Amino acid sequence: MIRAAAVCPQPPLLFRELAGTHDAAAALREACHRAVADVLAASPDAVVVVGGGEASASWDAALEPGPGVFGGPPGTARGRLPLSLAVGRRLLAEAGWAGPVELRAVAWGASRAEVEQLGEQLASREDDIVLLVLGDGSARRGDKAPGYVDERAFGFDAETGRALAEGDPAGLLDQDAGLADELMAGGRAAFQVMAAAVRAQGGAPQAKVGYSDDPFGVMYVVATWRM
Amino acid sequence: MLRLGRREFADTDLLVMAIVNRTRDSFYDNGATWQEEKALDRVRQVVAEGADIIDVGGVKAGPGEDVDAAEEIRRTAGFVAKVRAELPDVVISVDTWRAEVGRQVCQAGADLLNDAWGGHDPGLAEVAAEHGAALVCAHTGGLAPRTPPHRMGYDDVVRAAVADTVALAERAVSVGVRRDSILIDPAHDFGKDSWHSLEITRRLDEMVATGWPVLVSLSRKDFVGEALDLPVGERLNGTLAATAVSAWHGAQVYRAHDVAATRQVLDMVATIRGTRPPARVVRGLA
Repeated sequence: MIRAAAVCPQPPLLFRELAGTHDAAAALREACHRAVADVLAASPDAVVVVGGGEASASWDAALEPGPGVFGGPPGTARGRLPLSLAVGRRLLAEAGWAGPVELRAVAWGASRAEVEQLGEQLASREDDIVLLVLGDGSARRGDKAPGYVDERAFGFDAETGRALAEGDPAGLLDQDAGLADELMAGGRAAFQVMAAAVRAQGGAPQAKVGYSDDPFGVMYVVATWRM
Repeated sequence: MLRLGRREFADTDLLVMAIVNRTRDSFYDNGATWQEEKALDRVRQVVAEGADIIDVGGVKAGPGEDVDAAEEIRRTAGFVAKVRAELPDVVISVDTWRAEVGRQVCQAGADLLNDAWGGHDPGLAEVAAEHGAALVCAHTGGLAPRTPPHRMGYDDVVRAAVADTVALAERAVSVGVRRDSILIDPAHDFGKDSWHSLEITRRLDEMVATGWPVLVSLSRKDFVGEALDLPVGERLNGTLAATAVSAWHGAQVYRAHDVAATRQVLDMVATIRGTRPPARVVRGLA
């Protein structure tokens, strides 16, 4: 069964070596570390990392998670994992997690039926698992944002934030895939896999938000759900 | 030999391309040359400071005010004609991705089309061919015009820039652009994070090794700002350092806001390299 889930954003900046001398993402990274430590305290049999990717697929947790495709100091390893899973892998390593890790990518554009199927698979597990779910809100939240401004981003992100803060799977499942895509909201599918899994398992998650801000024009939320 | 309109330049000549924006909102000058008379004054000034090329832009590179083709033509074509009439020898470039704008500015006297958005409108190369204009072929990683990069990854950003710009250059030749009138531009910060732009700069010799003349546009860009944690107004020294490194690697054309300083750096690098004699030598020789 799912014991707990941590939600963290997936910017390459969470790789400390990409951030330069003055770490603009320090507060975000610390919030992620706290959330991951919180859920690992449940002592699961395995951690399942769920994040967006080009296609829905399982990935080999032994693959190099290096962020070199985004740059970094000369010699930075170029990993093969999707960004979301690489960030999750790194956060688990930084938390000192040495237990089993499974990596599940969900297609950015996955349908409602697809996220529900993936979620139900997770909910049917007999071992104790913790989910580490990677995703962000809209990247269109200001004139310096990666996707410039789309006023709809604020309402969309507010609803995602509310659902994460209240432990409301239905709220996440109701978010529209087409709108999320237009708003460059890269967490929609992964959040919905988590929501579908929690809904299928039943019970009311105890939710806590550890970070909610958009310092670079992309909405980041760090949250934990305890089942 | 590099041929830009009626002018020819030796392979060892280092050229300054001065930025002259006909915009209200470009990132550094913020509309300083929006008025036509101010823009003409800047052209006179930068030519006096040693600019070989002026690059006229009618649309901010980043997101902002919508500028359609008709408005872009209004901002650039008439201005090109005025500069052409006043300064017959300066090379006039126009920074545009649109073929219909390219056609109008070539008719007004432009010598070079600076396709900074990497062949987004393939018709631009045909326009250059029709008018005997030169063409810049830039690498953007496939982004649509005016789109900032967001988490763009490359297995090897330099190899990607080389492959894409050389492919654009060969295509331009195939549609009739003169081979000696094509430049390639890795396009620092376009489709790249700062690490990518730094790596492009560090390995610029690999682009030069293609044999195509290389243009770089470094001036006051974010990769300089992020390297030194400085706002646009304080990025000149960093820009000039990147300029010197690029010149040492063999880039030939430098798109710049600060023409006199860039000219001086390029003259110094050329003198160190031995392709330009010192201006006056007496020390130790009297």
